[in-house]
Amino acid sequence: MKGLQDFILKLGQIDRRWIFLAIAVVVFIPILNPIGMPIRATDTTKVVFDAIEDLPANSKVLVSVEYSPSTKPENHPMTISILRHLFKNDHKVFVTCLWPDGQFMAQEALEEVAVGEFNKIYGEDYVFLGFRPGNEAVVKGIVSNIRKLYTVDVHQTKVDEIPLMKDVNKFSDFDFLFSSSAGFPGTIEWVQYAADPTGVPMSSGVTSIQVNEVMPYVQSGQMKGVLAGMPGAAEYEALIGQKGFATSGMDAQSIAHLVIVLFIILGNLAFFVERQRSKKY
Amino acid sequence: MIWKRQIPILIVAVVGTLTLFGWFIEEPNIEAFVNDDATQWYDILASFAIILGGLNLIKLQMQKVAKQRIGWQYSLVAIGGFIFAITAGFIIKGVDDSVALWGAHVTTEGSMFKWMFDYMFAPMSATMFSLLAFFVASASFRAFRIRNFEATLLLVAGIIIMIGRVPLGSVISSWFVMYLLVLIAGIGVNTWKKDKMITFGTVAVGLAAVTIAGMMMGWPVNEPGIFYLPVLQEWIYYYPNVAGARAIMIGIGLGIFATSIRYILGIEKSYIGE
Repeated sequence: MKGLQDFILKLGQIDRRWIFLAIAVVVFIPILNPIGMPIRATDTTKVVFDAIEDLPANSKVLVSVEYSPSTKPENHPMTISILRHLFKNDHKVFVTCLWPDGQFMAQEALEEVAVGEFNKIYGEDYVFLGFRPGNEAVVKGIVSNIRKLYTVDVHQTKVDEIPLMKDVNKFSDFDFLFSSSAGFPGTIEWVQYAADPTGVPMSSGVTSIQVNEVMPYVQSGQMKGVLAGMPGAAEYEALIGQKGFATSGMDAQSIAHLVIVLFIILGNLAFFVERQRSKKY
Repeated sequence: MIWKRQIPILIVAVVGTLTLFGWFIEEPNIEAFVNDDATQWYDILASFAIILGGLNLIKLQMQKVAKQRIGWQYSLVAIGGFIFAITAGFIIKGVDDSVALWGAHVTTEGSMFKWMFDYMFAPMSATMFSLLAFFVASASFRAFRIRNFEATLLLVAGIIIMIGRVPLGSVISSWFVMYLLVLIAGIGVNTWKKDKMITFGTVAVGLAAVTIAGMMMGWPVNEPGIFYLPVLQEWIYYYPNVAGARAIMIGIGLGIFATSIRYILGIEKSYIGE
């Protein structure tokens, strides 16, 4: 028994570099060799799917991209899946960005989905308006008069010359909003300044750490569901029937979470042994 | 003095009052000011603030290099990066006008700015964020201890969320969780009564009860739902979490309201350096 306790104590004092190595190994292996764990869609994800599925064809959907490369593994698969779903159902997509980096992320997603997979025509099927500085003031600007805020799109084409922008003057001209967000400004600003005052339905995809903040809006019905982090993205991929990066990332995240939990248990065992011994002596 | 003190306070008080009442008064001009003009002013100011921020960054970094303060070498990299970004954004486009106009070039394949984003900014940004996984693992191992009731609650909720959110959680049967709970109950009873027979009895009865119930129900993975990790984590997200988040939001809202009133009434003057 003493030998086991000594061993646990020794493990409890393990150098943190071993922990780093363990995490690296358990993340890498499932990415290289996916296990293919079953993805079970949660209610919040199903609500997002249903909200988009219920939109009539040719609905005008505003997609706002608010994340940077740092949270790309979580947010980008959501953006890709949402765009796939929207284009598959023949909706008209308008893309804005509240983050400067979001413009690069949105461009990548549009090139992959709109151009690469669906051969959609720019200006007729989708418009990329890009980034404007001003955080929540941009949201308010879109709500009151989008043409004052966006006189040109990302290609420097005048908005008045874009056919798809013909009847779009303010936020209430859109039928739906999806915000792919990693923080401020993002989902919460869209709820507070746009969706809630105008009554335009919205959904969002956020990083796992943001779920706590946005859940009150989901529960109150101000948001139609939420895609919660990479699991939410993987669930959405499963719902639209097109697996992507999020699905392959879930195996790695599952194992990594399990290993972290094991580390926590191990740390606590060592803590108890240490406390018992200090009481004894 | 009047230009530096009274006039700015007056502007804040008037604009603050107008903005506040814009939400409650049906006056088209005030509504247009709040929703349109003030928003555009903010956009213009925000654009200028970026220039001011950039200049301030360069000034501070150059001062650090000139005085050779600790870590001044990093400031050189910051200045270099800043100059490179300015060059790529405003001076050298890297593509012809036929490919992309100024402004559109930042996200155009082949431009210097896009190259900088793809091969410098994106990898560095992703690397910084990815390191969190390693630090979270190390910090959880060292700091997540069952020291008291609150810490235990946090730990149990954390573990349920971590496992229940990922696909692994959905393959863990609720019956396995129930067996685990019986064993944990056994530890609790042993600590409380310090009697091997009572502990054995508790564990044996618990295991038997779970086994009989399982056999009767046909061992469904997700039933009873109360012991199924994905259901449990959803419940934690929906109820205790939302209750806490709402309390924080209401607190923040009241704080913002109080601060706004202080600005409008001229009590809060930190923005003019007082």
